[in-house]
Amino acid sequence: MNKYTPDTGALETVSPDTSNTKIWLSTAAALIVAGLILVTLILPAEFNRDPLGVGQMLGLMGLSESSTRAIETVRKEDSGFHEDTVSFQLLPFEFVEYKYQMNQDSAVLYSWTTTDTVSYDFHGEPVDGPEGYAESFSIGKAKQESGAFTAPFTGIHGWFWENRGTGTVTVTLRTAGFYTETLEFRDGHIKKEVLSDEP
Amino acid sequence: MAIKYDPPTSSAKQLEWLKFRFWLVASLTLVSVAATAHNISDANADFVQGLEGSAIVPFMYLGAKHMVTGYDHLLYLLGVVFFLRRMKDVLLYVSLFTLGHSITLMIGVLVELSVNAYLIDTIIGLSVAYKAFENINGFKQVFGVQLDARAAVFIFGLFHGLGLATKLQDLSLSAESLVTNMLSFNVGVEMGQAIALAAIVVVLTQWRRHTNFHGHAFIANTMLMCSGFVLAGYQFANYLWA
Repeated sequence: MNKYTPDTGALETVSPDTSNTKIWLSTAAALIVAGLILVTLILPAEFNRDPLGVGQMLGLMGLSESSTRAIETVRKEDSGFHEDTVSFQLLPFEFVEYKYQMNQDSAVLYSWTTTDTVSYDFHGEPVDGPEGYAESFSIGKAKQESGAFTAPFTGIHGWFWENRGTGTVTVTLRTAGFYTETLEFRDGHIKKEVLSDEP
Repeated sequence: MAIKYDPPTSSAKQLEWLKFRFWLVASLTLVSVAATAHNISDANADFVQGLEGSAIVPFMYLGAKHMVTGYDHLLYLLGVVFFLRRMKDVLLYVSLFTLGHSITLMIGVLVELSVNAYLIDTIIGLSVAYKAFENINGFKQVFGVQLDARAAVFIFGLFHGLGLATKLQDLSLSAESLVTNMLSFNVGVEMGQAIALAAIVVVLTQWRRHTNFHGHAFIANTMLMCSGFVLAGYQFANYLWA
């Protein structure tokens, strides 16, 4: 193990007469200080864990959570504010698509419910995107979904619902937010409605 | 070791101390400006993922940035060269470290080795503490045995390389130009290491001129050991809870 040869240069350390006690004390001090820093500062600040309660005292708790709230709290809108409630009846294997024309960063609150489970795909198509390109935000099978949506790009954003069951299903969508048009795609037809800017 | 110096007058001592402080402050400022983040930032990752094919300069830049801003690698390098007076020794030890981390960086990426980045970073933190304990003569003095320092720097180099591999794998490289991009990243790592090392060696050289260098050295390595433990604890907490 100890193979120091002169040609590689004996490894210099601190002076060789350093006492064992001094080394032990130094190591213990390093461990204790490291432990204190971890337990009183890093764990509360980074992991929201506070084993000694010192983090609370120092006001460090919650620091690691604020970063997720760094988004804009208030964002003002120019386009009109609209509320919308629509219902669709879907026979077995029927589907419908309902979308809103939205500007980038505009927001909408939505909530839809159905009388029975449907397959759905909440997605958006950018206004300048390639033909048929869509980005999905939420896909699955459910009887309801609610949430807040901020458009990641300008384009049409909305839902595709399909009834894959054996009975008739009614889908009801309620939204409130900032959009300029509604578009309904059903049986190969598009029903488009341009909304006025005044609510 | 025979220390030979003329007893300095108090003003000469002061000047020396001032000079040392200047270098220390200058280098710490440099390091703290650079060391704001350790993981490859999201924006950088998004950019690289959007690329098709090989991107030599971006990957070299990311490799260098990771090294220059990675305080775990920097602290370990500081520990390694702390007592190396001769450039020959600096080159030997740094080459062993480079060899070690290059091996595992490449193998790790090529065989898509899946290791937990936080556990690897915990070991990297411990490598800092190990080197500092070695520097205060802990292994030889307290335990009477010490792994050859050259072997240790090579072995810990292997672990540092695994850490680099996990960071590079986070970028989900496309298969077609994997080798080019990985080699570019590795070259960048070595360039960043050279830049950081130059700063460290300059500061250490100034520091050694201080008459009480050996007194400082003991305290500095104790602090280094402490930093290593903090890094290891932080990364292990990440492993547990992040």
